[in-house]
Amino acid sequence: MKVKIDGKEVEVEPGTTLLSAAEKVGIEIPRLCVIPGLYEGSSCRVCLVKTPAGRLFPACNYRVYRDEEFVSNSLDLWEMRRVNFELILKFHRIECWQCYRKGQCSLATLSKELMVEGIPVCSECPLSPSECLLQKGILCLGMITQSGCRAECLFSGGECWGCRGPISRRDLIERAFEHYIELGYDVKAVISKAEIFWNSLSELKIVKEAADRVVDRE
Amino acid sequence: MSCWSLLDRCCEKCSCTLNNPCSNFIDCRITGPLCHDDEQCRELRTRRFEELRYGETGSKIRVPIASCTLATGSEAVYNAIREAVGKMRLKVTVTITGCHGLDFIDPWVEFTAKDMPTAIYGNVKPGDVPKLIEDYFIKRDVSKAFVLRDRKGTAAGEDKVPLLEELDFWRKQYKWVSRNCGFVNPESLEEYIANGGYKGLSRALKEGPERVIDEILRSGLRGRGGAGFPTGIKWRIARQQSATPKYVVANADEGDPGAFMNRLLAESDPFRIVEGLTIAGYTVGASQGYIFVRAEKPLMARRFQIAVEEARRHGLLGKNILNSGFDFDIEVILSAGAFVCGEETAMLAAIEGKRAWPRQRPPYPAERGLWNKPTVINNVETLAHAATIMAEGANKFTEVGTEKTKGTKMFCVTGSVQRVGAYEVPVGTSIRCLVEELAGGAMGNCKIKAVQIGGPSGGCIPANLLDLPIDYETLQSAGAIMGSGGIVVISDENCMVDVAKFFLTFTSAESCGKCVPCRVGLRVMWNILNKITNGEGSEEDIDTLRQLAETVRTSSLCALGGTAPNPVLSTLRYFMDEYKAHIKDRVCPAYVCSALIKYRINEESCIACRQCALNCPVNAIFRVEESGKYRIDEKACISCGVCFTVCPVKAISKVSASG
Repeated sequence: MKVKIDGKEVEVEPGTTLLSAAEKVGIEIPRLCVIPGLYEGSSCRVCLVKTPAGRLFPACNYRVYRDEEFVSNSLDLWEMRRVNFELILKFHRIECWQCYRKGQCSLATLSKELMVEGIPVCSECPLSPSECLLQKGILCLGMITQSGCRAECLFSGGECWGCRGPISRRDLIERAFEHYIELGYDVKAVISKAEIFWNSLSELKIVKEAADRVVDRE
Repeated sequence: MSCWSLLDRCCEKCSCTLNNPCSNFIDCRITGPLCHDDEQCRELRTRRFEELRYGETGSKIRVPIASCTLATGSEAVYNAIREAVGKMRLKVTVTITGCHGLDFIDPWVEFTAKDMPTAIYGNVKPGDVPKLIEDYFIKRDVSKAFVLRDRKGTAAGEDKVPLLEELDFWRKQYKWVSRNCGFVNPESLEEYIANGGYKGLSRALKEGPERVIDEILRSGLRGRGGAGFPTGIKWRIARQQSATPKYVVANADEGDPGAFMNRLLAESDPFRIVEGLTIAGYTVGASQGYIFVRAEKPLMARRFQIAVEEARRHGLLGKNILNSGFDFDIEVILSAGAFVCGEETAMLAAIEGKRAWPRQRPPYPAERGLWNKPTVINNVETLAHAATIMAEGANKFTEVGTEKTKGTKMFCVTGSVQRVGAYEVPVGTSIRCLVEELAGGAMGNCKIKAVQIGGPSGGCIPANLLDLPIDYETLQSAGAIMGSGGIVVISDENCMVDVAKFFLTFTSAESCGKCVPCRVGLRVMWNILNKITNGEGSEEDIDTLRQLAETVRTSSLCALGGTAPNPVLSTLRYFMDEYKAHIKDRVCPAYVCSALIKYRINEESCIACRQCALNCPVNAIFRVEESGKYRIDEKACISCGVCFTVCPVKAISKVSASG
């Protein structure tokens, strides 16, 4: 069987999945839900590839039985993967500060690859949950700050100042404020630290509203 | 009076038994004894045909017992007729029948006698029954009938009543699969055979599977379940598979709100579907068939069960059917009633006893389906078509239809129309013909604004495109789908954004949750629509909505997600001005979205009856002392619309909240 993926030809056994065929020629197709041999239900729709005619198939469970050609790298495919990935993040509890994976998960990796925002700096923080600066009384804005800086400040021994702007999900911001209050921080102190970088951002209003709601609830 | 039925042996010379079936069984029953010649046996058949038509006593009353007529009280009518006939000591046979799809005259009854014209009475109430029976059978007067099936010139008032064939909603139909609906007793195999049933199977068994596939291919029959895949090709692929055993499945899991033609067909003529499934099984080489019925339609399931048992009892299912050496049996399976069960791979999982989740195709079920064996899945209407094509020949089927799609399709027209019902028309009939000429146009003073074709996952076609012919390709290019054939007529009293939201509410709730675009995407789309109908939408929402809808449509796993955004996409395409009005002006042009309207009492027409104030759930309506009339406190009003519906003089009007 000869499969052509993005112009690269590869010889495979009949019944091979497209995913492993692509790996043979060094093409990395993003994937999320597939665990070969255990789950191949093609639920996440992130590994979609298309035929030259435009028909979409998930690479994880499409098995090759004849010579075929596929495209895995095109603008509309990346756009579709990005939208689907955003939908997954939409209802995921992205609370990396309390997750034991601490950003070592495929969601965080894929979000970088697909350039999807919404994951906090904690996912990149080198400190383990027990060494979290917040535990030591140092006010760090990592929980509500957009990741992508590889946590430079935390690597060099400082705390997060929120220079990349707030994350977009309101419910996550609210949860972060709940966590701040739990640890004994003053909400006003958090806001005034955030204002250093976010003063000109329209999102600051959303953060303030979220903080108000949390304070009201407490 | 005789108790001989067509299915019994006519005399000692007939050698047909269950253990020794006769290959000419069906033809022999209709055209008289074939293996021997006997005047008496022939007469027996002629007399029995007459009896089936006019009852054993020469007069007969048919009462439709189907879900649609039961809902309007036909069971009470049936009991009243039995009682009246008994009390009047009339010699009249009372039987049940299916429904012929004209749901606006439910419950109807049909009176017939040898020397009287057959009359159909519409909207019968149990109290009217004695009078009607007296008029027809004693006074011989048919002037109160809704329509007549024929004229014989023997009854009074015959000229005043129109003939059924003369009326638009009957004349413009082409009765092909629904020919028996409303005529035969759906629980009697004998009546089905007397009306040409099982001719197709007996022909198929004589000609062999290859000839059957050729005939179906020649007829150009395409799947009537929605996708329109050529049935002949599907059968051929399954036949060519080497794996055994093979299975055939009839998909009777009709879940679209507003579509009921499969139910109607199965409740009125279940044997046709059983016959079609048997032909499909014979053609692909299967020995086991399944009928997958929605559990919410218990009568449909019961009729199928009766049909299968009757067919089995008379050797039309089981071992060595009609002495052809072909063994086949059918099992009726009840689904738990999820909408997604209508998707073929989800249905297979449900039959296997697993959770009804669709799976990625390929492999297609024709290659690997039920228990990984080749499986043919056909909609019940397709199977009924196949049975009729085998009986009547492909040439007659191809007489109507379009170049690409031959034959007829049943459509259910519901919503704001005058004559709600199921109509069978040739493919290629214009939507206008179906909606205006057959269904009688919009109800009351309304105008048709759009037509929603294809159930919750179809699209809305605006009124100016009503002249489009209905076929798979045209509808697809107009943004709708043929689907199973439900047509919902939307009048100008409906808000299109609200309509799109309504259909998304259904599909997002019915999403099985397996793949991300359908599970989350539809929910997010619903949230955006909800925002817009609440008057909180923004310009970007439309772009987000369109992008999401496109992604969900193209990247979903199964057809549910693949078609669910259609209502949104088609309303965005044709009714952009309504979206804009909601977003820019914060106005609902049809005065439907409750967040964007308020109610006002016109003091001149108010008669101070106090009904509105009594019914208001938040006590927002108060009496103005000077005039004695009522007024709404706009701050307290929650725009629920209760006052609007209870006002006896229509003094309450809807106005835009913003202006």
